[in-house]
Amino acid sequence: MAARCKARCIKFYRYFLLNSFICLSTSAPHANALFFCQVTMHKTAINLNHFDGLFVGRCRTLKCLCPYQCNMFPAYLPRSQVLAFKSSKQSHQCGSGMTSARQTLELWQGTMKEIGGKFGTSVLSYFLFLKWLLMFNIFSFLVNFGFITIPLLASDQAPDIPQGVTFRGLEILTGAGYFNYTVMYYGGYSNETIKGLLDYNMQLSYFFTIAAYMVLCGFSLIYSMASSFKRNYVLADPASGGAWQLLCSWDFSITSERAVRQRKNNLRIQLKESLSERAQEELLTLSERLKHYGVYLGSWFLSTALAAGCGATVYYLCQYEEEVRRFKSTQNETLLVPFMVSLINLVIPLFYSLFNKFEHYSNQRRQIYALVLRNVILKVSVLAILCYYWMNTVAKNLIRGHSPTRYCWESMVGQALYRLVIVDFLFLILGSFFGEFLSNVIGTRLILSLGVPEFDVARNVLELIYAQTLAWIGIYFSPLLPVIQIIKFFILFYLKKVSLIQNCQPPRRSGRAAQMQTIFIALLFIPFFVGALSMVAYTSWSLTPSEHCGPFRGLNNTFSVVVVWMDHLENISGSEWAIWIYQKVIRSEIFYFLITIIVLVIIYLFWQVTQGRKLLIVLLRQQIVNVSVFASTVPKYVLLPMIVCLCFHLRISIPISPIHSFIHFSVMFELNLYVCSAQMFKLAML
Amino acid sequence: MGTTASQLGKDLLSEYQELTFLTKQEILLAHKRFTELLSKEDKALPNPRIPMQSILTLPELKSNPFRKRICHVFSTSDMKDGSLTFEDFLDLLSAFSDSATLEIKSHYAFRIFDFDDDGTLDVGDLEKLVNCLTGETDDTRLTPDEMRQLINNILEESDIDKDGTVNLSEFQHVISRSPDFVSSFKIVL
Repeated sequence: MAARCKARCIKFYRYFLLNSFICLSTSAPHANALFFCQVTMHKTAINLNHFDGLFVGRCRTLKCLCPYQCNMFPAYLPRSQVLAFKSSKQSHQCGSGMTSARQTLELWQGTMKEIGGKFGTSVLSYFLFLKWLLMFNIFSFLVNFGFITIPLLASDQAPDIPQGVTFRGLEILTGAGYFNYTVMYYGGYSNETIKGLLDYNMQLSYFFTIAAYMVLCGFSLIYSMASSFKRNYVLADPASGGAWQLLCSWDFSITSERAVRQRKNNLRIQLKESLSERAQEELLTLSERLKHYGVYLGSWFLSTALAAGCGATVYYLCQYEEEVRRFKSTQNETLLVPFMVSLINLVIPLFYSLFNKFEHYSNQRRQIYALVLRNVILKVSVLAILCYYWMNTVAKNLIRGHSPTRYCWESMVGQALYRLVIVDFLFLILGSFFGEFLSNVIGTRLILSLGVPEFDVARNVLELIYAQTLAWIGIYFSPLLPVIQIIKFFILFYLKKVSLIQNCQPPRRSGRAAQMQTIFIALLFIPFFVGALSMVAYTSWSLTPSEHCGPFRGLNNTFSVVVVWMDHLENISGSEWAIWIYQKVIRSEIFYFLITIIVLVIIYLFWQVTQGRKLLIVLLRQQIVNVSVFASTVPKYVLLPMIVCLCFHLRISIPISPIHSFIHFSVMFELNLYVCSAQMFKLAML
Repeated sequence: MGTTASQLGKDLLSEYQELTFLTKQEILLAHKRFTELLSKEDKALPNPRIPMQSILTLPELKSNPFRKRICHVFSTSDMKDGSLTFEDFLDLLSAFSDSATLEIKSHYAFRIFDFDDDGTLDVGDLEKLVNCLTGETDDTRLTPDEMRQLINNILEESDIDKDGTVNLSEFQHVISRSPDFVSSFKIVL
């Protein structure tokens, strides 16, 4: 009896420790209660009737305390009880009618399921990303159209189109000509206050609509990035990339025999590779390592040089195009610069893939990251050169040969962006044709060793990010550019889907789709969105708007619209709060200084909390191992005091900082509480 | 709670909808596929039970490496022969559906991987698991050295209390850190 009781105590304590470790490392605050329930439901741990009765009774109370956590499905309860569990949970929810209605409204739901089932989650992540970007553009279109374009169209102001300019089909490609004078571009908007039911100030509405849209985009991106980071990086341990991930990612929805065999092959190859990776890491000699580093340096130098060269090429091409136009003095725009930019984006990544093949990477993940980074540098440098050219040369009217009365530099920039978007779309179609269709033909007919191509998710996602950046830069200069973007993404979705199903095979390596998605969202945000936002901000802060067109004509810079409005508000009573906010908050430096200090302090506090928890995890792990090794040999009358001592010892030995000890104290208090109650039960059993 | 009619009653349908993670269409489709597998005599029974061999002819399960384990786990028959009633079948589809939670999926995954049904994944279970996933024939499986090393790696990663086996909590801990699990543990008719 005593031996059996001791065995049960040990098992119970081990399970309890294990569960506290787990709940702490997953930072679930009330999971202690949940795992208390779970511990008792394990029949292998505790097999006593009155133990069961006591604990089950206690669990019922705990279930009431934290109902949202107790959605576990205990294995050994009879089915009727299990069904009763689910029944009580689901009757609180809104009703399944809502979920089925929501499912039918979602765009492309069936297609996504089909693609996910056949090709896996990494390819599906591309299509989900495309859908997400499409939502941004739809929102932007609704906002711009509703707040900027419709008031202008409704005010019956005829656009002043000069004589002789009519709609020819070429405008769809070049964006100039007839389109130049419509509401497509900045120049088509007036700066007046439209009198109607209400006085609608076009200047303020233009400025605030664009600003609000960019800020909302920024918040949405930050939120997605942070939640994706938390889910896929912090909770998913990146170090343990190994066997369990591979084994547990077996896709249960594959139905064809051949696909199953193929997956088994791939899995075996990946398992063998991961085993040999671990073994091989220590085996490189010094000369081999030097050689590898030399190759890395060489290829990085080459790729940066290529990117710089492309940037310089684009800049000189822009100047050359301007000179040609000046000499020929026609209004025909050429597609030379967009063509070259898209050609660069198509061809240079192929060189980068070639470099990648020569380099030796210990880790397949690092290989993909290096490739992605080089492509990003290329695209960012090309876009940066273009923006620099527009900001410095076009905006400051350094181009001779344009009549100053009709020169509208924002519309010129808008047209250039429009052409870039259209040509990028054409090249995406061509790239899909060459990239996937031709690779399939070559792989299956000509060079059989290459085989059927895989869908290159990284390259396609980068192309999407680049396309979306163009749209974000262009929002200020051409408010209706999102329309083109929406059409483009719609067509692209169906094109890629057809191309995928006809030409590609499922990926050979079950990759880390979730982590790649985090990287892509982070890339979307940090270089590209922030770059687009800073360019729009620089335009509205420092550059002089054109004098003869657009909503901000005649002002020093765009932001002075707000200044003028604030002056105007001073004469209106009841708006002192707006003026106060403007003067004390937006224009004063002390406010930003204080905010920065407070944010830094909060970040420091959170960082300390994280460090403390990491330390605690290490200590608990060690404690679990210790207990399972020693407790089986230690007699009962030593065991109980030892448990108490361990807890106190833990509390004393970690006074690194006040925050650490505070956290440890609170956690240890809970731990002690449970241990004491466990001891009481053990004593009751004797 | 069985049915003999070829149509499900409305209140039975809504009850199943409440008690599983499936939608109405999925339950009706499951009922249709289940009755197709029944033999003529069984259709007259109040609570028909399909033997495992018939279940394994379903295209969704036919090539799954874990098909026999799945049938055993979800079966409620006293003879432990893997036969399923309609409600067992619904349980199966519910656990493998889109909307099932991570806890339920990891729970059932643990039971499926536990080949000897002893409540923990020990070395024998892990070996059978790896063999299931890499291939049955001699030239496709891993060598004994590689197998041993692989299982060592697995246990190093996931065995927290160092007792040589992976129990349910440790398994769920590992699963919670694998974000691709939920989307791959799916069977849709």
